[in-house]
Amino acid sequence: MDDYITKIVFRYILLVILLYGFYIVLHGHLSPGGGFAGGMVLGMGLLLYFLIFGFEKKAKLRRLPLDVATVLIVIGGMIEGVKFLLPKEATGQVGAPGTLFSVGIITVVNFGIGLLVASTILSIFYLLVEGEF
Amino acid sequence: MELSRLLLNYPYFISIILFCLGCLCILTQHNLVKKVIGINIMETSIFLFFIAVGNIDGGVAPIYDPALPADVIYINPLTSTLMLTGIVVSFSVTAFALAIIVKLYQFYGTIYAQDIMRMR
Amino acid sequence: MEHFQKLMPFSVVMIPLIVAFMLAIFARWKREFCAYIAIAAVAYGFYISYLLTLRVMAGEVIHYAVSGWIAPWGIELVIDELGAMMLLLLTGCSLVILLFSMKSLHKEIPEQATGWYYTLYLLTLSAMIGMVITNDLFNLYVMVEVTGLGACGLVVAKGEKLSTEASLRYLLLATLGSGFLLFAIGFLYQVTGNLNISYVAAELVQVREQYPFLMWATMSFITVGLGVKAALFPLHIWLPDAHSSAPSSSSAILSGLVVKVYIVSMLRIYFLVFGFEVFHESYMRYLILLLASMAILGGSLFAFVQLNLKRRLAYSTVAQIGYIFLGFSLGTSWGIVAALLHIIIHAFMKICLFLSAGAIYYQTGRKKVTHFSGLGYQMPVTMAAFTVAALSMVGIPLFGGFITKYGLAMGSLEANNPYFIILIVLSGLLNAAYYFPIVWQAYFTSSHNVKLEFDKVPVTMLIPIVIMALGILYMGIFPSGTLDFLERAVSRMIL
Repeated sequence: MDDYITKIVFRYILLVILLYGFYIVLHGHLSPGGGFAGGMVLGMGLLLYFLIFGFEKKAKLRRLPLDVATVLIVIGGMIEGVKFLLPKEATGQVGAPGTLFSVGIITVVNFGIGLLVASTILSIFYLLVEGEF
Repeated sequence: MELSRLLLNYPYFISIILFCLGCLCILTQHNLVKKVIGINIMETSIFLFFIAVGNIDGGVAPIYDPALPADVIYINPLTSTLMLTGIVVSFSVTAFALAIIVKLYQFYGTIYAQDIMRMR
Repeated sequence: MEHFQKLMPFSVVMIPLIVAFMLAIFARWKREFCAYIAIAAVAYGFYISYLLTLRVMAGEVIHYAVSGWIAPWGIELVIDELGAMMLLLLTGCSLVILLFSMKSLHKEIPEQATGWYYTLYLLTLSAMIGMVITNDLFNLYVMVEVTGLGACGLVVAKGEKLSTEASLRYLLLATLGSGFLLFAIGFLYQVTGNLNISYVAAELVQVREQYPFLMWATMSFITVGLGVKAALFPLHIWLPDAHSSAPSSSSAILSGLVVKVYIVSMLRIYFLVFGFEVFHESYMRYLILLLASMAILGGSLFAFVQLNLKRRLAYSTVAQIGYIFLGFSLGTSWGIVAALLHIIIHAFMKICLFLSAGAIYYQTGRKKVTHFSGLGYQMPVTMAAFTVAALSMVGIPLFGGFITKYGLAMGSLEANNPYFIILIVLSGLLNAAYYFPIVWQAYFTSSHNVKLEFDKVPVTMLIPIVIMALGILYMGIFPSGTLDFLERAVSRMIL
């Protein structure tokens, strides 16, 4: 899409979209939202970027999101499996309500989920465009 | 009395109407992309239904806040979280269906169901 | 070790799931090893299912609360007799099909897709396992949806025109079905405020009388929602295309296992949530009875006119699904036992038939049933197994199919409805009319100078076919142990 107006306008909008996405991801444990919704916003912002400014020329870079997605699924599965899914007693510190960095692993997991969702959206888009894997 | 009950519970009514519209869209449209839009309408109506089930009149969002008084009513967060899962499922179904439609377009050069049936 | 024993029900779902996603990366650099890893994962699942089944046979019902959240709040996995039977069937049969697919896949799907095929396969398998052992309604919905997506992926893996189109139709109708199911779950949650099946059932006994219309709507939504996916007769239109155009190992798992797990879920919701008496008195039972009878006749008649072997087998699946629905809507203990037994035996028969069709295609490239003359001498092992499965389909004594036909007949006598015996005999004759010509042609219509030779397919494709044929014979000759186990499963459901 080689359009002058979209390019100029989008240059300013992209920052707002990405900032909003990161906000939703980081505040996942405090307010509605979280990894999935924030990752969706992030992915859509990057998707718009690629739609407007053209795709990556290198095939290797284009495949990167899919690799990132699969690796994050595996790592996330291990963290979740060890930390969350195994039967356990309710121990550990309880975070203070309303503060951002008081919950330990949850912020990290949320961040991982956000990156995962964003890269999944990008890779689905690439799969649709390229038609092969 | 029946009518007033209906008006009081209007979210359920609207979700049923949307559900029927979505089903109709899936079953009768010939354009495959419109069928996928029908799927999305149908699933969204179910999300609306679930969230209406969880809602309480006068309740606040279920975020614990020490500043609120102790007798405040929180709405049921369970249905909203269930619908987050539902949204993910709906998203993946849509992506998969669109991918198949792209493939079909490459094979047949059209996205109209009756043209595809004629070309078989 | 004790910790591991506690985790066993969870790991049987989780291990195939994790391995599925790991295979997606692994397929990038070592595509040829994917099949072995998948086989190892499923073999692990089979071993664990065997251990769990032993514990269930000793009289224990295994409960497991996922991540330590106990029943009404968290997701609960429950393995009772029905779940144990389905676990053993699912893991065992899919292990056999995986063994077959190692060599057969290369001829049927594009080379670069073989790695991802196992990802889809394991994803479908783990979702099916989750569906039969979960005790949570919303988790059931998620598993239904994942199974549907995975099954569509298994169909579309061939990458041809017909399979792509069939898979889109399957996806649209399956999504419609799961929408109905989710709406029904929403109704149940609204009335009872719970999602755990045991708690929903306990609440529903108290509030059932107040909401007669809601109960009606819920029952019909569940019948339509799961009926679309299980191919109940007028809703079966997606099945013949999808099952006949898929690769043969996909056809085997779709026809043999995937449609069955939906029936098991339906059985659970009817008997455990609503209760046996409510189902027995509702009109839904007569509707299902009518549709099942139509399925038995209509599926057989449709199968009769098909010339493509896999299409004929797919329509035969519609008819056989009718048997299962007939058994469980008869509402007597013999009928339900026969339905559950038919789930096992039909899985054996259909997997055997579809794998034989795949092996025939592998060696000779023939698809039409009119081109099979002399095949009994070119591929003696495959055709022998095919014959065993065909005889079992018709219901000859000493083969598995006879036991279910006998059970259904006993069930319809118990239900004071002897007309169904006529239906069962008629359908057996119809089955004979469309299976025996194939067998006859393969053995008796060859030109005179053919000589007997061994099958020219890899031995990993022959072993699965033979295992399935032996399974049919075992079920036909020694059915008593399985029947006792199933009677225990039924007596737990009908109180």
